Amino acid sequence: MKSEDELVEEVLCGNHSSFELLLEPYRQGLLSMAYRLTGNLEEAKEVCQEALIKVYRHLSRFKKGRSFKSWIYRITVNSAYDSLRKKKKYEDLVESQKKVGLSAGHDPERQLMNTEIKAKIETCLKDLSPKEKATFLLRDGEGFSIQEASEILKCSSISIRTHLSRARKKIREQFEKINFAETKEVRR
Amino acid sequence: MNCKKVRRLLPLMAGSEIPKSKILSLKAHLEECSKCRQEYDSYVLSLEKAKEWLAKDRKDWEESDWQQALQRAIKDKKPEVTPLVPWPFKKVWAYSFIGMLVAALTLLFIIRPSIMQKKMGLGSEKFTQEQAQLLRSFQEESEQDVVSMTLVSKETGLKIVWFLNKNFELEVKE
Repeated sequence: MKSEDELVEEVLCGNHSSFELLLEPYRQGLLSMAYRLTGNLEEAKEVCQEALIKVYRHLSRFKKGRSFKSWIYRITVNSAYDSLRKKKKYEDLVESQKKVGLSAGHDPERQLMNTEIKAKIETCLKDLSPKEKATFLLRDGEGFSIQEASEILKCSSISIRTHLSRARKKIREQFEKINFAETKEVRR
Repeated sequence: MNCKKVRRLLPLMAGSEIPKSKILSLKAHLEECSKCRQEYDSYVLSLEKAKEWLAKDRKDWEESDWQQALQRAIKDKKPEVTPLVPWPFKKVWAYSFIGMLVAALTLLFIIRPSIMQKKMGLGSEKFTQEQAQLLRSFQEESEQDVVSMTLVSKETGLKIVWFLNKNFELEVKE
């Protein structure tokens, strides 16, 4: 199996099929990340498209030996921020996240479960600022280390710890509310 | 460690992001304090659940959309600008060039009039006062536009001031 640096080299030499191989492991992660940040699947796809164009266009700037994963996540997160900024969606973010309505397969039982989970995640993430959300998603959703997250978001590791701490605190509060509501419903 | 300090560190401890030097004292506190222990457990549980939900609700592309996105990325490629071509293609260089240009023009406007004044000998207080007085007296009498010309002799220091109207006719002042 070829390393990422080798695949990058091949793409730069004009081998387009290597571009797909290079990005294949991250297709889910990038889309999920963009989706959580924008709150809309169509917008997330547009963000990813923009990020893919940037990745391909600026591939020669990628420094060998560095993490390709961190690099493309940074581009995706920045594209998501740009998209939010352009549409002035920071204010509407909470509202748009409340809306549920994405296809989750054909199995109705699974669809119901997915919708339920989606609503829970959205409740947990609704009070988080964009920075806190990005930090939480990178660390706890995608499994990046503190150091990698600080490189992606271009801030210090202390700042990442602070954002992460705040995010987890808010999530815990929301989680307790969800738990409380569920217990109440079971008792009825 | 007191409860306040411990509680501040609990969100990070739930994700194992606490340095080894602090972990022992934190664990010791949690064994003694049931309230902090309870809070820690709730952090761990909420984090585990959030991770589980995020993993279950991962989005994926439809194959056709993914292929289309990749093709568009490849098609949209524009030639990469090499660092050897600096301005106007590189933003930073362009901005610094504009900044330098503005600074140079500002300096030119600030310095040049004072140099000219010094060269022409117009900087002396006596001269400007005299000139201002003459102009003021003329303006009081007439509403017409005025142009003044001053000749100064380098040898004798004699000054001759001419006042001309807007048609460049010499105005005679008694």
